[in-house]
Amino acid sequence: MQPHLKKAFTLLAIIIIAFIFVRSIAVPDSFGEYGWYRGDSVNELRNQPVEHAGSQACSDVDCHKTLYSIWSESRHKTVNCETCHGPAEKHVSNVRIMPEPANDSRDFCGLCHYKRVARPGEFPQIDPVTHGENLRCAYCHNPHKPWFV
Amino acid sequence: MKLSRRDFTKIGSKIVIGAATGPVIIDALVKKAQASESSPDGDYDWNKHYWGYVVDTTKCIGCGRCANACKRENEVPFDEPVYRTWIERYRKLKDGEMKIDSPNAGIDGFTDDIPEEEINKAFYVPKICNHCENAPCVQVCPVGATYTTNDGVILVDFEYCIGCRYCIQACPYGARYFNLEKGTADKCTWCYHRITKGLLPACVQACPVGARKFGDLKDPESIVNKILDKERINVLKPDLGTKPKVYYLGLDREVR
Repeated sequence: MQPHLKKAFTLLAIIIIAFIFVRSIAVPDSFGEYGWYRGDSVNELRNQPVEHAGSQACSDVDCHKTLYSIWSESRHKTVNCETCHGPAEKHVSNVRIMPEPANDSRDFCGLCHYKRVARPGEFPQIDPVTHGENLRCAYCHNPHKPWFV
Repeated sequence: MKLSRRDFTKIGSKIVIGAATGPVIIDALVKKAQASESSPDGDYDWNKHYWGYVVDTTKCIGCGRCANACKRENEVPFDEPVYRTWIERYRKLKDGEMKIDSPNAGIDGFTDDIPEEEINKAFYVPKICNHCENAPCVQVCPVGATYTTNDGVILVDFEYCIGCRYCIQACPYGARYFNLEKGTADKCTWCYHRITKGLLPACVQACPVGARKFGDLKDPESIVNKILDKERINVLKPDLGTKPKVYYLGLDREVR
């Protein structure tokens, strides 16, 4: 083989080897495990902590069983506990960590119940100006067992 | 045998390079052979599920509890105008104009700033990542930091994303945002950490009127399949060929 060709092939071989070597260091181990992405990232995302425990967790170990049974038969049974009381997974796993107090302002109840044009007509809505004399809603309505007055 | 210094260096460096690269190449080949259809974690088999989502726009009351729960569950920067899910309000005025808005994704509620007399019809439309079967955002990612899992969820690898924002441009639904805290693109994961544990996504759990439904398309008994079998459904921008897996009930033609 001519010497200049030999030099060129040697150089090419070194470049290929160097590329494979650098690539093996730069590309994470799990890349390509399931597809063209880092396989480990699936588990990293799965391990993200859960914040909302779900209403069922409130009655699981007899903690709020009475309240739970009242709520679960009321018209508000479709409203998850944590919708008003805030994310409670930390409280479920450690009762000493208290969830934030429930928001009982008129405007919070109004997020669902103030009269709005875009809402389905059959959904219970009130006019905040004429209804309830600016009292807190819970003054007349039990949020765990609401009724129509 | 007498070895010159030059020859010794030549042979020596060849041996060193060979010793370093040999195992690496063998390792790469072996790993390639081992790559299989396995699931990332033992207790959840992602080949047995294929998730789908139904939004019933006729039920939505625009309370914004879904968007609120999503931000709290997924540590989306709360005071910044970035959202993984949001509610849009459509108001068709009597003069024919369509007003579309989504103040703070609906988290603080909506106020009637246009008198009722001027409005022909009005409704809310919850929006979320469509987890397209044929996702443009996955196609454009230059580094493989966003991908489709075997159970049909589009995820972002926050360690690997370089923050080029190309996927944010590619999404025709505006479902992606740039997370300044992480320095990466970010989006709805259908609460992948919850659904793989048998829980519902936070937005579905928070919805007080059942406007959001989530279920397994591979399970014929799932709520999503029951709706798809019975109801007249549509998807957003079907002409784009992205094949969304968020199905809408009562979708108006004005909704984009």
